[in-house]
Amino acid sequence: MAVLVIAEHDGEQLAAATRSAVAAAQLLGSEVDLLVAGHRVETLAAAAACIAGLRGVLSCDAPQLEHALAECHAPLVASLAGEYSHVFTAATTTGKNLLPRVAALLDRAQVSDLMAVVDAQTFVRPVYAGNALETVRVEETPVVASVRPTAFGAVGDDDPVAIRVVQLPDAPPAGSRFLKLEASPGERPELTTAGVVVSGGRGVGSAENFALIDQLADALGAAVGASRAAVDAGYVPNDYQVGQTGKVVAPSLYVAVGISGAIQHLAGMKDSKVIVAINKDPDAPIFQVADYGLVGDLFQIVPQLIAALEK
Amino acid sequence: MKVLVAVKRVVDYSVRVRVRADGSGVETANVKMSMNPFDEIAVEEAVRWRESGQAEELTVLSAGPDACQETLRTALAMGADRGIHLRVPDPGGALEPLALAKLLAQQVAREPVDIVLLGKQAIDDDANQTGQMLAGLLGWPQGTFCSAIRFVGEGLEVVREVDGGLEHLALELPAVLTTDLRLNEPRYVKLPNIMKAKKKPIEVREAAELGVDIAPRVQIIQVAEPARRTAGVVLNDATELVARLREEAKVI
Amino acid sequence: MSWQPPVADLLFCLRQLVPLAELARAPAFAELDLEGETPELVLAEAARFASEVIAPIGEAGDREGARFGDEGVRAATGYRQAYAQFVEAGWQGLAAPVEHGGQGLPEVLSGATHELWNAADLSFALCPMLTDAAIQALHVHGTPEQRALYLPRLVSGEWSGTMNLTEPQAGSDLSAIRSQAVPNGDHYLLRGQKIFITWGEHELAENIVHLVLARTPGAPEGVRGLSLFLAPRFLPDADGNCGAANDLRAVSIERKLGIHGSPTCVMSFGEQQGALAWRVGGEHQGLACMFTMMNLARLKVGIEGVGLAARATEQAFRYAQERVQGQRDGEPVAILRHPDVGRMLLDMRSTSEAMRALALVTAAQADLARAFPNTGEGAAAQARLDLLTPIVKGWCTETAVEVASLGIQVHGGMGYVEETGAARWWRDSRITPIYEGTTGIQAADLSGRKLRLDDGAAMFALLDEIGATAQALKGGAQAFAGVGAALADAVLHLRASTRLQLTRMRDGERDAALAVSVPFLLQAGWVASAWQMARALRKTAGGADPFSRAKHRSALHFLEQMLPRALALGARVRVPARSDPLPH
Repeated sequence: MAVLVIAEHDGEQLAAATRSAVAAAQLLGSEVDLLVAGHRVETLAAAAACIAGLRGVLSCDAPQLEHALAECHAPLVASLAGEYSHVFTAATTTGKNLLPRVAALLDRAQVSDLMAVVDAQTFVRPVYAGNALETVRVEETPVVASVRPTAFGAVGDDDPVAIRVVQLPDAPPAGSRFLKLEASPGERPELTTAGVVVSGGRGVGSAENFALIDQLADALGAAVGASRAAVDAGYVPNDYQVGQTGKVVAPSLYVAVGISGAIQHLAGMKDSKVIVAINKDPDAPIFQVADYGLVGDLFQIVPQLIAALEK
Repeated sequence: MKVLVAVKRVVDYSVRVRVRADGSGVETANVKMSMNPFDEIAVEEAVRWRESGQAEELTVLSAGPDACQETLRTALAMGADRGIHLRVPDPGGALEPLALAKLLAQQVAREPVDIVLLGKQAIDDDANQTGQMLAGLLGWPQGTFCSAIRFVGEGLEVVREVDGGLEHLALELPAVLTTDLRLNEPRYVKLPNIMKAKKKPIEVREAAELGVDIAPRVQIIQVAEPARRTAGVVLNDATELVARLREEAKVI
Repeated sequence: MSWQPPVADLLFCLRQLVPLAELARAPAFAELDLEGETPELVLAEAARFASEVIAPIGEAGDREGARFGDEGVRAATGYRQAYAQFVEAGWQGLAAPVEHGGQGLPEVLSGATHELWNAADLSFALCPMLTDAAIQALHVHGTPEQRALYLPRLVSGEWSGTMNLTEPQAGSDLSAIRSQAVPNGDHYLLRGQKIFITWGEHELAENIVHLVLARTPGAPEGVRGLSLFLAPRFLPDADGNCGAANDLRAVSIERKLGIHGSPTCVMSFGEQQGALAWRVGGEHQGLACMFTMMNLARLKVGIEGVGLAARATEQAFRYAQERVQGQRDGEPVAILRHPDVGRMLLDMRSTSEAMRALALVTAAQADLARAFPNTGEGAAAQARLDLLTPIVKGWCTETAVEVASLGIQVHGGMGYVEETGAARWWRDSRITPIYEGTTGIQAADLSGRKLRLDDGAAMFALLDEIGATAQALKGGAQAFAGVGAALADAVLHLRASTRLQLTRMRDGERDAALAVSVPFLLQAGWVASAWQMARALRKTAGGADPFSRAKHRSALHFLEQMLPRALALGARVRVPARSDPLPH
């Protein structure tokens, strides 16, 4: 049996996370189909068909699929799942919202946030905010799992595969209605999915000084985060907080500026691929997890770093 | 309007969890336990509805070993009216999200409510599934990861924290809602209310006797510590850092 | 860095070491579910409040301190808000009588929560501690009218309380008190100056209820002429609404080594027409009334030592786990792995745990004495409380200073730098062996009064019980035989010291007894606390969970490494004192 991956998109573009979900699916050793469901999705489906290594693309077009309402998408996925050994999607907020509802309709358990594929039935996933890794085995078919995008590479493009149009099954009324999306202000990527994150800590010293962190983030095309100490000190709002009680991030590059590296903070960023620490205290615990460190005054180093990046 | 809130007893967020040497799980004996923080936000939200008169009855439910009753007492001290403990004997007291969703669906069938409110995920298994599964089983609309919930007309308007920003949805009732961090800041429980909560009723039922399949579906083979990062190198200056990031790490 | 309150060990003490089952069957506590969820629910919330509301203000309190200016005393940033939340959450009423709006919970649970407040920020915690003492004094000695007017607002925390004893010429010697209260209709007019008045003026509470020791006209000389008076900062009407300011005020606050957040006031009463005051208890009964407050307060000061020692220990552990220095087996290691750092940390941890256990077991005696009045059980509990109170006050505070000092040592040079916060616990702890009666006063109370009053009966009863635990350890598992023997030996020596002190007091060698009274008190402290650790060792024997294993390690360390101090102290007690005057 093949694997079904549910694509995520905003109506115009496929989400990058979908390519990672496909990458995880391809590790199972079976053929992979990608489902593109939405309204007026011909272009999207065509783009999806170019993702490398797919067997085919399923496309479902209906007005009620325009927004990612789980109430409308779940019955569609459930109606297709019977033909597949696995149903995967990326563990983004869209995927997290949809997939458990699908699992419930199928009477299947779900494996959340899959980080590694051991074999087609055995997976590794994080628990306790990544402080422990659980190896789990699922004997049911299909296996329903969400994939942590940062744990897998992204699949590139290749020659297009065939697109098959599927029908939306009859379903009871959704009971929910999309009103609007308030996009996050600014051009910066969203913290939890950004490829690069720059975070500031108590060492930054004040809300005004945080502008320096913003400038470095701009130079790197990064999202901005903060330690709890910086949030508690009122430098930045709560939703900047990276850590056990804030957001858990795992970008390719994490730059910690003026962050000592309290254990709660490390819990939120230690899965980052490359960690850079800038701190005046050479013994700050952050250096014990950092791949690259710069010891010194951040107010000197950060401007130099911005200049070096712009070269 | 009647509201049901589900709460889970978990290892306190401030505890540094330790994986057992035999890989069978994490150490939970004699470890500080508390209400899952997202569930605490759910209780807080529902208590506010209760206090403002929007909700006429607030029931809290917890499934698990006997110690769950302490978590229910905390919710009662915060202002819930009554508790339901679905007892699952220890050890093996952990329920998978699907099993809990089925138990909740059965509870809703037994005593209808207008809203089931839950935390978006428990900070132990980090599954983030129960609310969505319950909504699927009941065929109800779902508002997950809510940072705002308003009563509008006969229904609700919710604001959801999604990756790209804030999504606004209109939901009909009954509905399942799950909470995100920013929904509210839970109150500090007042000592007199802790003592009063002892007089509020907690109904205890054996989960195994409710006719719901709660057998585990997912086998946990082992639990391990994540690979520890080792300290890297201290560089001389920003120029060297940029060079390393470009050429060695290839991340920019 | 966030602090994790020691809830697990507090619960262990309450469930395994304190006679909670006996308390639970007392009619006064029957409704409280003491053997059920109450301790955990209360402590979990108290820990949350302590770590999230009180602890964060401590640093500002230490750095800024309370200030004194044209508007009088102002608390440091954050105190007012934290106090309002404390009142809102109802913590002040924990052990207060139900009829006045309290929860009627036992003193032992109050002690456990006070440890958490103290560990969070001693400066803050002093304010509710003194209010507790005022509640106790008014509850026991106040007239029905005084109780009705003052207690509900003290119990809620809307009003706070103080103890006014010390005057510039009357420190440890209260007989030198000069403040005067002159009858004036239904009240008195109070005049005089008091010093070292903790939280004597502040803006956190709506009103401050001062309990003041003063003399009435024609009163006898010495402590027998003292009476206790109540003087509110603002004069309340019959309904408790605050009216005009009374003729009393803080005239300055002290600059101190520690507890900077707590304003230590010089209070001036009656600069104008005289401060309106009402007598509490009988005329010339002031000292007895004050001792109702003092005994409780002395126990609570002992618990201040526990809180600070535990906080210093937690911080030192955390630092030692993260600070990497040196290598073992070719790998860089956290300093925790170095044997001497490990020794310091175990000294700190085992001592803090022993202090906690001793203090809570003592607090429970107060509850038993109150719960079973006019019974043999109640009398025995009262006798043990009387005996252990000076020991808890003296030993827990002296030891806390040592533990907090070790905490600095674990930090190395960083500990001497204020930024790490390690020094604060030591600075704050340094007052605890001084106020509410210095260690010398406690030791004089123990040797000169407590032993003498019952001819050592309470001490010998205690030693018999400790001896029985030691024998049980000796006869039990092989691994414990050695520490059992060590405890048995320590009991023998303390028994000998006790006899010696009794003989000296009886034979008119009072000075000889007093000269070694502090070593004697400390000897008793190490032995009594070692008893608790021995009991803990037996309770956790065979437990494989991390808590039991850690407790095991602590208990063995304490019995093997700390208890020998008792022998050295015993040797000091044995040596005859020299009678020739101190050369100078």
